[in-house]
Amino acid sequence: MPHLVTQVLEWMPFVLNGFGLNILMSLLAIVAGTAMGTFLGLGQISRLRLVGVPSRIATQLFRNAPWLVLLFYCIFLMPYQIRVAGQVIVLPSWLRATIGFSFPVAANFSEIVRGAVISVPSGQWEAAQALGYGRKATLFRIILPQCIARMIPPWMNLYALLLTATPLSVIVGVEEALGRTQAAVQAQSDSSVLIPMYLALLGMFFFYTWPINRLSLVLERRFRTK
Amino acid sequence: MFNLKGVALGICIALLGTAASAQSIECGSDTLCKVKAAGVLKIGTKDDYKPWSYRAADGSFKGMEVDIGNKIAEALGVKAEFVKVNSANRFEFLAQGQIDLMIASASDTAERRKIVAFVHPNYYSSGYTALLPKAVSATQWSQIAGQTLCAVQGAWYNKPAQEEFGVKVLAFAGTAETEAAMAQGRCVGLLEDDNQINVRLSDPKWADYQMPLPIQADTPWGMAVRQADQFAPFGYFVTGVLAEMHRSGALLDMEKANGIKNSAFLIKMHDALKDHIN
Amino acid sequence: MIASIEAFFRDLAAKGINLTIFYDAFDFDRFVTGLGNTLLLILFSAFFSILIGAAGASILTMSRGAKAALVGGYVALFRNTPLIVQMYFFYFAVGSIMPVGRNEIGLAQPLIGSFSWAVISLSLYSGAFNVETFRAGIGAVHSSYEEAALALGYSRRQAFFSVTAPLALRFSFASLANNLVDLTKATTVAYAVGVAELLYVSNQIWSDSLNTIEMMNVMLLIYLALTGAVVFIISRVESAMRLPGFGQGGGH
Repeated sequence: MPHLVTQVLEWMPFVLNGFGLNILMSLLAIVAGTAMGTFLGLGQISRLRLVGVPSRIATQLFRNAPWLVLLFYCIFLMPYQIRVAGQVIVLPSWLRATIGFSFPVAANFSEIVRGAVISVPSGQWEAAQALGYGRKATLFRIILPQCIARMIPPWMNLYALLLTATPLSVIVGVEEALGRTQAAVQAQSDSSVLIPMYLALLGMFFFYTWPINRLSLVLERRFRTK
Repeated sequence: MFNLKGVALGICIALLGTAASAQSIECGSDTLCKVKAAGVLKIGTKDDYKPWSYRAADGSFKGMEVDIGNKIAEALGVKAEFVKVNSANRFEFLAQGQIDLMIASASDTAERRKIVAFVHPNYYSSGYTALLPKAVSATQWSQIAGQTLCAVQGAWYNKPAQEEFGVKVLAFAGTAETEAAMAQGRCVGLLEDDNQINVRLSDPKWADYQMPLPIQADTPWGMAVRQADQFAPFGYFVTGVLAEMHRSGALLDMEKANGIKNSAFLIKMHDALKDHIN
Repeated sequence: MIASIEAFFRDLAAKGINLTIFYDAFDFDRFVTGLGNTLLLILFSAFFSILIGAAGASILTMSRGAKAALVGGYVALFRNTPLIVQMYFFYFAVGSIMPVGRNEIGLAQPLIGSFSWAVISLSLYSGAFNVETFRAGIGAVHSSYEEAALALGYSRRQAFFSVTAPLALRFSFASLANNLVDLTKATTVAYAVGVAELLYVSNQIWSDSLNTIEMMNVMLLIYLALTGAVVFIISRVESAMRLPGFGQGGGH
């Protein structure tokens, strides 16, 4: 039994390194997805049909497509290197996977934005109109600032969902924690390490994600409107 | 605010640009030239196929295929950089330029030659068969029709075994999972390369197992390069190194050094290509 | 398979779009099997996850102490870890310590197969999200309803099951639809434990025929259809169960 523990510990730096990549991918994807999602969300509630309809279609499409399929598209359809102004920029797999993750994140955040804007009482819109604010000004100066607080808990939930989805990228060959755990198990050619290694992997994700979850619950209670 | 953004963007592009500035326009599409200019040969290999290709705890790649790759890079005078590939992406990675050479236990089949080019002579060969417990008395494939065998997803022989012999295949991501599944009784044996089974049987852990069924479809493995590279300097270079390794017996030595019993294919190739004087 | 369809797709393959599932009998069979298994996974897991969600939310609302802590712990664990790792765990770890039966010819046979473990794992994963969903639904029911019921002589339990729960269910539909859509997409993870669902068979087909992009496109279309169907079914159920005075009519 202690032999098993030392064996597992020996491989931990290797696996933790991979976990660092999971975290990196999740951080980049949440930033990109939030930015894109804000535009999509505002686009959904736009009065203009030209903006509203494509935004709604894009949101529904990326919300309902399996994340894995989106990953595949990004890995296979995006080139490995692109030429920009004579210089070659390399796009490694993990970066393309990150871009692949940001699409469903954007779609989910778009729904969060839309839900938050809708939940603001219509009295606010009417009052702003009475005071002479245009639609755009109302949105950006009165409605959205109120929304930000109530968007934070679902946004943190989304981040947790994203992080626990990053192991999917192992299928497209990204060297993250799950792939490294599999490689480590293979190298030891001893199926009795299967359980401890996967337990360690479970632990890694849990101890990183759970505090975020608790924080989001605390924030939700603070911002709850009854 | 504007200045800061512009500066940050500029730094990013500069950093990314310098990383690949070696691949400038002078080399054109000549992979050999590009590899020498970059000083690095990117080789795609698996990392879950012990002892042909697997990992050490420090993250480095080890195994027979890794040794071959190092030898080729050494001959070229560059560093070997190994990139992990799996059956879902190995050909795409090659086509996209993420790797220049693939040494990933890929069988040289007509289907695959439509997508990539295999370098000849082939560097290895194997057929498939089943690892079964000694308690099972079957000697023909027909006797295990309808039984379930565990296999690795993406292996080329999963389909033929099902189609020709009527065995049911339960496929998992890696060999550790197949072993665990067999231990739980979810399958009666493992469907694998005969060389891999040989390696297992030399380990006392597998003393209660055997390989009684006839080996099927002996198919050579090939190193893959992009189709454009096959009849270009890079392809010819790899061909040359491979032929020399067969001739000098280096491949047989590498096989032994990785704990694999010398296979019939390598012995045959060495005999065919060896020096007629020495 | 109809010969003309076969011929059409063989032509298409010659032009570069290789859809072997339409002209190769073996691939067609295993693809249909995969689709069938996916549908079964979705049906069984959805059913059990809703039950688990309802039970868990009820426990969290009605009791304090050990039971509530247990449910809270379960939800925390299953929502904060990747599904694929949970599934590996159930299948390989828990599966290895379960008692083993014997089949007709005396060979060892595990009592719980891949499919069953996949359903168990998916139900528990989705169930954890449903617990949160139903709990939010219960929280959205104004306390005046419960108070009115208590004033009329209902006990706390009766008030919960007869008054609060039905209302909470109606408030939970939107979020429940979300969770079931996620569950539909999550069934792909079962490939990792050898369940022959859609991704598993597509993986095998594209490994053999090297038509990865075509199979990915087919999978995308099928999952869009499945999630669309799930959303449609939920919205029909919602309309059928709608109570007057909520949702419509008031502030839109």
